[in-house]
Amino acid sequence: MNVAEAPVAAAPQTSVPVTQAVRFIGTPRAYWRLLFRGTARLAVTLGIYRFWFATDIRRFLWSNTEIAGETLEYSGTATELLIGFLIAIAVLVPLNLILFIAALSLGPVGQFASTLTFPLLFFLGQFAIFRARRYRLTRTIYRGVRCHQDGSAIRYAICASFWWILIVLTLGLAYPFAQSRLERFKMRHTYFGNLQGRFEGSGWRLFFRGLVMWLVVVGPLLFALTYAIAGVDWDKVSAAAATSDGGTDFFKKIETAFPDVYGAIGILIGAVFFSMLMAVVLFPVFQAMVLRWWISGLRLGTLTIRSQLRTGLIYGAYLRFLWYALLFSTAMSIVGVIAYYAMNAALAGLGKPELVEAVNAAGGVISYVVVMLGYSAIYQGTVRFAFWQGGMESIQLEGTAVLDAVKAEGGPSSAVGEGLADALNVGGF
Amino acid sequence: MATGAGLYFDGASSARHAVTIETTPAFLSIAGADGSLIAEWPYAELRAQSAPDAVMRLRRAGGPELARLEIRDPALIADIDERADSLDRSGVVERRLRKRVVAWTVAATVSLVLVAIFGVPLLSDRIAPLIPLSVEHRLGVTIDAQVRAMLDDGRSGKPFECGGTDAGKAGRAALDTLVGKLEAAAGLPIPLKASVVRRRESNAVALPGGHIYVFEGLVSQSRSADELAGVIAHEIGHVAHRDGTRSLLEAAGLSFLFGVLLGDFTGGGLVVIAAKTVVQSAYSRDVESSADLYGVGLMARAGGDPRALAAILDRIAGAIEPGSKLTADHPQTKDRVTAINTAANRLPAPTSPLLSASEWDTLRGICG
Repeated sequence: MNVAEAPVAAAPQTSVPVTQAVRFIGTPRAYWRLLFRGTARLAVTLGIYRFWFATDIRRFLWSNTEIAGETLEYSGTATELLIGFLIAIAVLVPLNLILFIAALSLGPVGQFASTLTFPLLFFLGQFAIFRARRYRLTRTIYRGVRCHQDGSAIRYAICASFWWILIVLTLGLAYPFAQSRLERFKMRHTYFGNLQGRFEGSGWRLFFRGLVMWLVVVGPLLFALTYAIAGVDWDKVSAAAATSDGGTDFFKKIETAFPDVYGAIGILIGAVFFSMLMAVVLFPVFQAMVLRWWISGLRLGTLTIRSQLRTGLIYGAYLRFLWYALLFSTAMSIVGVIAYYAMNAALAGLGKPELVEAVNAAGGVISYVVVMLGYSAIYQGTVRFAFWQGGMESIQLEGTAVLDAVKAEGGPSSAVGEGLADALNVGGF
Repeated sequence: MATGAGLYFDGASSARHAVTIETTPAFLSIAGADGSLIAEWPYAELRAQSAPDAVMRLRRAGGPELARLEIRDPALIADIDERADSLDRSGVVERRLRKRVVAWTVAATVSLVLVAIFGVPLLSDRIAPLIPLSVEHRLGVTIDAQVRAMLDDGRSGKPFECGGTDAGKAGRAALDTLVGKLEAAAGLPIPLKASVVRRRESNAVALPGGHIYVFEGLVSQSRSADELAGVIAHEIGHVAHRDGTRSLLEAAGLSFLFGVLLGDFTGGGLVVIAAKTVVQSAYSRDVESSADLYGVGLMARAGGDPRALAAILDRIAGAIEPGSKLTADHPQTKDRVTAINTAANRLPAPTSPLLSASEWDTLRGICG
């Protein structure tokens, strides 16, 4: 018996049968093949191919996800995504131009425009996230019935912006409540046919589960900050800064004012380093925890969903990512160095320094593109895939009978949201 | 004619109907478990929907949009695939279509890259002279703030711009005299704003709108006022040719082009990128040599030594300092030195230094 099965076996038998009803039947091999082919085409088309790539990936993931004996169907097309993107460009290009010109003008207008740009684009991004979700849902068909989403994207964007401001102000403590509220909003407006969704995940539960992690990561930073403010006599520091005439002189003056300055700097650096290390180490744990909490909070009519996702699975995915990325980087460095010297040796005889320079610059751009796309493909093949497969297979359903008598409702929506999300770089799957 | 089992979803509810499917000559006949006919789908109207490899999932083009027929029987799947031209089980048609998509996107990419490499510089060459000076001035003010933030490392703990102290004020006056002579000879349509800033590199930069930043390192590397004036004259050449505005236009054009292509509009820091381009851009050889020639001519008109620029260039290139833009980004210094000297030989010899020895000493104390 492995760890994953233990809680299932121990679960009390209720009148409603609990079924391990979700399976992922796609093979990693087929997925990697999709990724390789798509990434190669992305590289030669500088990204234009992404609409076809995303559609292929979704078709694969959807159609290989089997829920209670039936697989999902993704009915979206690349053309729809392309049109959505073109519409988004038609909206965003003039908007960006206006913001750019306004930012160049002097005085309060320019100031206002520069400060307004980020909040405006952020708001638009949240709007896009909600609308893109709607597109994906309406392209998700299961047993001949479509999923759909109503609700105002503007209201969602207002709520999301409010919560993200709160998250930043509370150094992340508001995250669980934001997630639970926003997920409630999304799920309340989500339907499978006439079956309305809802979200029952509790913000407080996620808060208490994550609190220890938060303390371990943010605690040292807060400590360092408090230490720096309370433990250092800032008047003396500014006095030293005012009277010194260079970097070394400044440090000498500081040294005489505070004999233990290097110890203090050591403590500060140590605290920040520890915090960063913990953030990296705990990130997979955090993600697994949020994913488990999220899945377990999803409801569809009387259908109850639970997740027993193992943290180790997410850890494994990240470790695989790091390992493959390392192998890929090594291979690319070797190929890059050989190509560089071969190219320069071949061109050296021509006596055209401009040509060598141009070729080297082009080589730099190409290797950058290849490396970035390679990392992205590895990430999708390891981490993204593990999230989808692991998340789906961790699901247990209660009351699947409700899925047998759903009435069809809702029509397809446009892909403008997807286009906006793509243009603003906030897209998901 | 083949028969087999399948699953039918009518598109109105999620109910699962176990059906028997029969391939008649003209259509698929779908019958319920009790033998009653549910639907007849003509082969020409069959469309394949995405499904796992082992499953054939069909819809009818004219029929209920969401009605689906699912078949797992390999023999039946093969038979239907054979009969319906619209189905593409082996993916041949899809692959051919995809190849066309890839071929045309590659063609589009190539033409966009060519436009980026050749079209954008050409276009900015044409547009830059058309930009009104008032706009260039405003552009300069915005860029100026960015460039300052980038150049000012604040390590010295003193004001970034030299010339605040008493000795500095005298130096500033000497600099103004020097720049004034050059400016009078240049006759530019916009006023120059030259200042010495605390950077150790031997370099100088010209921004759109007539800002010229001379780095402290350049002042200490100069052996005479004419050498410093030579470099400033070169930078005035950039201002006169509106090179800063031109490279700004290029940067904006490129970010726009690739922004559209890559779908990245969040690169809102266009101003930052543009400012970086102005400071760090490897100015093309043509741009540099025409600024050199302008500088040589200007020095001669102002009555200074046109060879001084060659002398200081040669010396700085000999002692390559890390991060020195004037040399590092300006390739083939030797060629430039030769070109400057050749041009200078055709001009009259200098009458007298641009600054007196005492004025030059005062200028050197500008950062004191």
